[in-house]
Amino acid sequence: MVETVKLTIDGHHITVPKGTLVIEAARQVGVMVPHFCYHPKLKPDANCRMCLVEIEKMPKLQTACSTPAAEGMVVRTATTVVNEAHKSVLEFILANHPLDCPVCDQGGRCDLQDFSHEYTPTTSRFIEVKRVFPKEYFSPLIETQMNRCVQCLRCVRYCDEVMDVKALAPSGRGTMTEIKHFTHHELDCEFCGGCVQICPVGAITSRLSMYEFRPWMLKRADTVCTYCGDGCQITIQTKENQLIEVMSAQGAGRNNGDLCARGFFGYHVSTHPDRLQHPLIRRNGELVQATWEDALEWVAETAIRLKLAHGPNAFGGLIGARCTNEDLYLFQKFMRLVVGTNNIDSSARYGQINGVRALRRVQGTSRWTVTFDDIVSAEALLLVGTNVTETNPITGLKVKEAVKKRQATLLTIEALEPAVGTISNIANLAAHHFSVQPDGFKPAVLGLIKAVVEENLVSQPLAQKAPGYVQAVSEAVRRLSWQAIERATGSSSQSFIDATRSFTRTARAVILVGQGVLRAPDGSGLTATLLDLLLLTGHHGLPGCGVAPLAEENNDQGAVEMGAALEYLPGPSDANDQAARARLAQAWKEELPKGPGKSLMEMIEGARTGSLKAMFIVGENPAGSLPPSAGTMEALQSLDLLVCQELFLTETARLAHVVLPACSYAEKDGTFTNTEGHVQSVRHAIELIGESRPDWEILSALSVLMGYPLEYGDAKEIFKEIRSLIPGYGLLGPAPTPPRPDQAVVESYLKTGYSSGLAERYTLGERRAASGERKDFSLTLLVTQTLFHSGKFSTRAKGLLQVQAEGAFSLNPADGTRLGLAEGDRVRVSNDLGEMTTTVKLQDRVPVGLALFPEHFDQEARRLLRVSTDPATQVPYYKSASVKVEKAK
Amino acid sequence: MMKTFNAWLKTIIFYEILIGMKATLGHLLRYKPITLQYPHEKRTLPDSYRGMLALLRYDDGTEKCVGCDLCEAACPSRVIKVISAEVPGEPTKRYSKEYYMDMTRCLFCGLCVDACPVDALGMTREYEWAVYDKRQLRLNKQQLLAIGDRSFPVREKRLELQHPNVAFFNVAFRQMPPKEG
Amino acid sequence: MLREKYKAEIDEILSRYPLRRSALLPLLYLAQKEEGYVTEAAMKEIASILKITPPQVYETVTFYTMLNLRPVGKFHIQVCKSLMCALVGSDTLLGWLEVRLGIKPGNTTKDGLFTLSKVECLAACGTGPMMQINDDYYERLTEEKVDRILADLKRDGTSSLKSGPFMWPERTDG
Repeated sequence: MVETVKLTIDGHHITVPKGTLVIEAARQVGVMVPHFCYHPKLKPDANCRMCLVEIEKMPKLQTACSTPAAEGMVVRTATTVVNEAHKSVLEFILANHPLDCPVCDQGGRCDLQDFSHEYTPTTSRFIEVKRVFPKEYFSPLIETQMNRCVQCLRCVRYCDEVMDVKALAPSGRGTMTEIKHFTHHELDCEFCGGCVQICPVGAITSRLSMYEFRPWMLKRADTVCTYCGDGCQITIQTKENQLIEVMSAQGAGRNNGDLCARGFFGYHVSTHPDRLQHPLIRRNGELVQATWEDALEWVAETAIRLKLAHGPNAFGGLIGARCTNEDLYLFQKFMRLVVGTNNIDSSARYGQINGVRALRRVQGTSRWTVTFDDIVSAEALLLVGTNVTETNPITGLKVKEAVKKRQATLLTIEALEPAVGTISNIANLAAHHFSVQPDGFKPAVLGLIKAVVEENLVSQPLAQKAPGYVQAVSEAVRRLSWQAIERATGSSSQSFIDATRSFTRTARAVILVGQGVLRAPDGSGLTATLLDLLLLTGHHGLPGCGVAPLAEENNDQGAVEMGAALEYLPGPSDANDQAARARLAQAWKEELPKGPGKSLMEMIEGARTGSLKAMFIVGENPAGSLPPSAGTMEALQSLDLLVCQELFLTETARLAHVVLPACSYAEKDGTFTNTEGHVQSVRHAIELIGESRPDWEILSALSVLMGYPLEYGDAKEIFKEIRSLIPGYGLLGPAPTPPRPDQAVVESYLKTGYSSGLAERYTLGERRAASGERKDFSLTLLVTQTLFHSGKFSTRAKGLLQVQAEGAFSLNPADGTRLGLAEGDRVRVSNDLGEMTTTVKLQDRVPVGLALFPEHFDQEARRLLRVSTDPATQVPYYKSASVKVEKAK
Repeated sequence: MMKTFNAWLKTIIFYEILIGMKATLGHLLRYKPITLQYPHEKRTLPDSYRGMLALLRYDDGTEKCVGCDLCEAACPSRVIKVISAEVPGEPTKRYSKEYYMDMTRCLFCGLCVDACPVDALGMTREYEWAVYDKRQLRLNKQQLLAIGDRSFPVREKRLELQHPNVAFFNVAFRQMPPKEG
Repeated sequence: MLREKYKAEIDEILSRYPLRRSALLPLLYLAQKEEGYVTEAAMKEIASILKITPPQVYETVTFYTMLNLRPVGKFHIQVCKSLMCALVGSDTLLGWLEVRLGIKPGNTTKDGLFTLSKVECLAACGTGPMMQINDDYYERLTEEKVDRILADLKRDGTSSLKSGPFMWPERTDG
C-alpha cells in the first residue's frame, strides 16, 4: 500500500502518493504551474525559479518542482505575490532573450512565448545590450542558437540522466552559460534529438526542418518507427504532404517519448527522390516503365503458365519484416492459397527465428514473457551478445533506467570494451562485464551456469521437481574445465562466480539476447541454454522474469506470428500441427498446401539448381544482404519469373522481371508487432508517392488476376481476419500483456525435451587463436549494425547520412599500433574470398583482435564473407570473417 | 375638417413625391455634376488608403522580409503563401524563398501589414488592378517587390553594426559585447 | 602524457576520494601546473582517467576562473568583480589596470608579462577592492598601490604588497 498525503491546491483537494512533487500534484487537478527546468523524466533541478508557488506556513515562495507534497499543505498558485514572482523571473530571462520569435522555429510552441503572453507587460526595464554568443560552427542536424537559451539545463540533464551520453556541457557561468559540446568541437553524440525535443525555447532546433514550417501548419499522424524492433511511437508531422519532422510526445508509446537518431532524423527515406513511382517491366533486357495493368497481367499470366508447367512448388516467396502484419499475413496467404506452396520465408530468418524457436521449445511461447516495464523494474539484467544501445536504443534506455534510477545489477556479455565516450556504452553501467570475442558468448554463458551449479545456487524446487534435468545439466557443465572457459572468454572463474551470485540473489531477473547470439551459429541453442540458466536459478516463470530475444527489424516478431515462415502458420502454430491446419483450412475454406517448404537459403539453392522457377520478393533484398559468395545474384538471375515489390531499385529489384512500386510505412495503414510483442497501429502520414501502392493491395490485385481472389477493402479488414484466426491478437492498448510460459511445455522440456542437443549446447567449441597473441596482420572482421542506421533502408535518409555516410573499419588503438595504422589511414582488407579498401577508425570500445564494419555500407565488405547455414533452423550466418589488414598503397 | 383638406391637397399635388425629389429638382435647376469622370478624372486618396499590397526593401536593396509566416497566419482570407528557407550561403538566416499573394481574395484589411514584425509589407495607393485573366492576380515575390519599389521610393535605412547571429531584424547594437572568458 | 609524467601524483590524488570523479579539480590543477593552462589534450586525458566524458571536464574548467583555457602571461592579474568589491570600486580599479597595461580583460600584454581577467569573489570581501596575481592576494587597492605593484612585478618578479599566498596550504613538515 502506497502511503498517501492530502493537500489543497488552489482550493482543489487532492490525495497523492507520498513523495509526489507539488507541480505534479497540481497538474493532476488541472492547475498548470509555469516552468522551464522541470520535466517529468528528469530529477528536479529548480534552477529556473519559474514555478514558484505560495505554500501556507512557509515564509517564502517555494519551487513547486522540487517541493514534495506534504500532509495538509495548502498551495496557492495564482496569488498576487506569485504572479509578481513570475513576472520578475520572466523579466530576468527576457533581459537576454533576443525576441527573434518571427524567425525562430519554436515560435508558436514556445514555453517562454506562452508565459510571456500570460505574465509580463510588453516592455522591459532593461536597456543594456543583450548577450551574444558567437557561433563556432553550424551543425548539420542539431542547430543551437544559444542567444535564445534560458539556461534551464534540461538538455544537459536529459543527455546525462536519460540517455547516459553526457555530450552536452554548460560552459561558463551565470548569464554567459552556454550549452556546448567540447570546446569549439562540433557536436559528436548519439544524435537522439532529445535535446531538440526537450528544449522549452528555440535554443536547440532541428536543422533538417529548419524554417520549413510553423507549428500551426502541421498535420500530425501517430505511427510507429520502422527502424528497429523496439517499435517506438512517433508522430510524423507533415505540411502539404511533405514530411517536416518527427517527434514523440512525453509519455507516448512504449518509448515514452524518447527516440534515437534513426527515429528522430531518419524520416526522409520515404520521400527520397529515388523512390520507385511506376511499375517497371523487363523488355529486351531493360527495365522500362509500364502501367499497373500491363505489369500485373504479365505477372499473373507468367505465374499461371509456370504453375501449370512446373507445379506450385516451383515458386518461392520472400518478404521483408519491415512490412506490416497485414502485408505479411496476406503474403503468406497468397503463397499458400493462390500459389499453393509452403516455400515462404521472411527476413526474420536472419535471426529472429532462432529466438522464437528456443522460446517455443522451452516454454511454449513465441514471444517475450516480459515487457519493457519488467526490464525497468528488473533487479538483475543479463545482456548477452547485444550492444543494446546501438541495435535497440530504446530497449537500451529501459536498461539504463533500471540501472541508473533503480539500481539494478547489470551483467553484460558482449564484444565490447567499457570505454567512455559521447556515445553511450552499456558496458560502462555493468556491474559485471565480460568482454569476449564474438565466439565467446557461449563459453561465457556456460561459465555462468557452471558457477550456478558449482556454487550450489540451483533452485531447490527445481532440483526436486526435475532431478534428471538438473543432474544432466550439472554433469554437462562439470565436464567443462574452468581453464577452458577462462581461455575462451578471457575472464577469471571468480568473476563468473561473483556475477552469478549477484544475479541469483535477485527476485526479478531478465535476460536480453541480441544479434550477437541470434545471428550466430546455433543461436537457437544458446538461447535455450540461457533459458536453462533462468530455470536453474529458479527465476523462470516468476513474474517479471524471462528471456527476451531482441528483434532487429521492426516487424520481425510479426513476421513469425503471421506465419511468414515455412515452419509456422499464423498464430504462430507449427506448420504440421494438424489441429491448427484444420482450423485454418476451415477459415480459409481451402486445404493448405502439404510438403515441407523451402527456407530462404534452400530457395536460393533451388533457384540455382533449377528446381525453383519463380519468386515473389516483397520488400527484401537478398542479393544486397547476403554476401556474393552465397551466389544469390546468379541464382536469382536464372529464375523464369522474379517479381519484386520494392520502394527502391535495390540489387535484387535490378534482377527482377517486374518491379512493382510499394509504398513506405509513412504512406500506409496497418500494424507492427514490436520486439516485446506489442501490436501497434501504423497510420499514414502522407499520400502515396507516385503510383506506389501498399503491398497488400498489390498482392490482392495479383490474386484476383490469378483467379483466386483475396479481396479486402482496407488494411483493417485484413486485421479483422487476423484477429478471427488469432483471438485477441493486438489488443491495441497502451501496454502489451505478455503470455505466461506454458507449464505443460516447460514440464515436458524438463522431463525429456532438454536432452536433444544437450551435448552440443554444453561444449565450448573450438577456439580461434587468442587475439592478443597474434603477431600477424590478421583480425576478425565483424559486420555489425550501428546506432545511426538500420539495414540498407536508412542509408537513403539524408539526416542519417549527415551523421554517418560511409563505413569505416573500426579497431582497437592497440591493434592499430600493432598493425602500424593510424586514424584515417586507408587500408586494404583481404582474405581468400576477396578484398576491400576502407578507412581506419580507432575506437577504444572495440575489443582487441576484432574489427567492426557497419553492415549498412557493406557493399564491398560483403565480398569477404562466407555463408554458413544452421542445419536445424536454416538461419544463414555470414557476419564475420578472418581477414588480413595492410595499409593501402 | 382642415386636416382632411390638407391631406386631400397633398394627395392631388403629389406632395410626398415633391419632398422626395427636392434634391433632384434643386440640382435640375442648378446643374453641376458630382460624378467623377474616371479614368479621366481621379480622386484624391486619403492618407490611410489601403490599396495594393507590396513587399519592401531596405535602402541598400535587400529585402526586408524574413519569411516568418506571420502574415500568412494573420490573413483572414488565406491570400498569402510564404515558403521560407535559409539564405543560401548564410546559415541560420531566414528569408522567404517564395512569396505569393492571391489578390482575388484579398479584403484589403491590412492585418498582414500589422502582423509583419519587420515592416516588410506595405499598402500602396495603387488600385487600378483590373485584369482580363484572374490568374494574373496571383502575384509572386518579384511582382510584389516591384510594386513596392515603384510605390515607396523612400526606403528605410538598413542599420549598420549588425552581428551575423542576430541580424534578423533591423536592430543595431552600439557595440558588440565581447565574449567573456 | 600526464599519466606517464605524474603517475605517482595521479595515483595519490585518486586514492583520496571514494568517488573517482571527485578527483577532477586536483587533476585539473595538475594539468594547469604542467602547461600553465588546461589544454584540450589534458582535458581528454583527465576524462579518460576519471571515466567521464570530455564535455564534463570542459564544463568544470569553464566554471572556475582559476582554471585557464588559454595561455596566460607571467603574471595573471585576476580582479574580483563581485558585488562587495564592485561597491568599493573594482570597476575603477579595472579601468586603471586597463589603462596601465593597455589591454582589455581577457587579454595578455604584448611582452607576455601580464594577463588581465575579471573573476568572481575571491573571499576577501572585507578588504576590497582586491585582486589576485598568480597565487598572491593584493588587497585594499588604490591607484598608487596598483602602480607600485606593477612596477615591482616588472622589476623584481614579486611585490612586497602581497598578502598571500593563500592558494596552497603551507606545508608544516617543511
